[in-house]
Amino acid sequence: MLLHTLNRSPLSPVLDQALAGMGPEDRLLLIEDGVLGALPAQQARYASVAGRVYALHEDLASRGLLALCDEAVRVVDIEGFVALTEECERTVSWY
Amino acid sequence: MQDDTRQGDLLVILRHAPHGSSWLKEGLDVALVAAAFDRRVTLLFMGEGITALLEGQQAGPLGQKGTAPTLAMLEMYDIDSLLVEKRGMESLGLSDEQFMLPVQGVDADRIAELLASHALVLNF
Amino acid sequence: MRYAILLLDAPYTSQAAHSALRFTRALLAKGHVVDGVFFYHDGVHNAARLAAPPQDEPHLVDAWAELAREHDVPLQVCIAAALRRGLLDEQEAARHGKQGCSVEPPFELTGLGQLVDLGLRCDRLITFGP
Repeated sequence: MLLHTLNRSPLSPVLDQALAGMGPEDRLLLIEDGVLGALPAQQARYASVAGRVYALHEDLASRGLLALCDEAVRVVDIEGFVALTEECERTVSWY
Repeated sequence: MQDDTRQGDLLVILRHAPHGSSWLKEGLDVALVAAAFDRRVTLLFMGEGITALLEGQQAGPLGQKGTAPTLAMLEMYDIDSLLVEKRGMESLGLSDEQFMLPVQGVDADRIAELLASHALVLNF
Repeated sequence: MRYAILLLDAPYTSQAAHSALRFTRALLAKGHVVDGVFFYHDGVHNAARLAAPPQDEPHLVDAWAELAREHDVPLQVCIAAALRRGLLDEQEAARHGKQGCSVEPPFELTGLGQLVDLGLRCDRLITFGP
């Protein structure tokens, strides 16, 4: 099980690259501008990885997106980010 | 200790075209250095990175070397596992006859497997 | 666990350096070992000795140096990437006949092979890019 980090919004072509690299158990952590992907209107883009998408709390907060974050996206803090990297055998970063 | 069930030591993903940025060169440099230290290296060309393989590239107008000369050296470094994302090839309308090196096309399922089966994955 | 961090962008230009610093500090707070932070591509600008950001903004160059001093974290700057971007330590400056230098300890100019080594010997390598 791998962790993929993505720091680009769903408007970027990098999202599709990240999704192409994801295995059936892999997790996706949205960080930095990637947290724009937590918006409800964008959830269809993440359909293939539904239930396995996380977003970094401090990046949502600084962008005023905490209240707008879709319920299906799991919000984690920086310690949660660390925990995800511990649990997953490898982390691949998409940027 | 070498784990032979692993596909390779290092997978380098190359997602940027030649000349337009330094990413492609910098990714290739890591691959070469790893190979020089006897690591097994796989290269995966995705998206714009696929154009790194095109025949007929030249130096830039200010004398920028580009990356074609480096690719020509891969065989000497025993880097012969060159994989290309099929979807990217299709969207760019390119075929492997246009490439300077032999490659193997891979689909998304295979890409996920590649990421899981190399000890280290670096994305450029 | 033993972690390696790869940082690929300059401070301020993107959030990469900030995120890398936040993450690295969280790792250390949890008791993990950070075997090295490797600076490549524009990440080498995190070693800029003469960086002088405004007082009310985070000083990332100093923050990395403090991390190195307080937690023994090696700060490894790819020498090829650094030289072409004008980041030279005393030794390289002398070698190239330049006055002054732009990189000083604890930042260390090192070969790209160190990145591969770091990545393969650590349990985890986490990349922060632009």
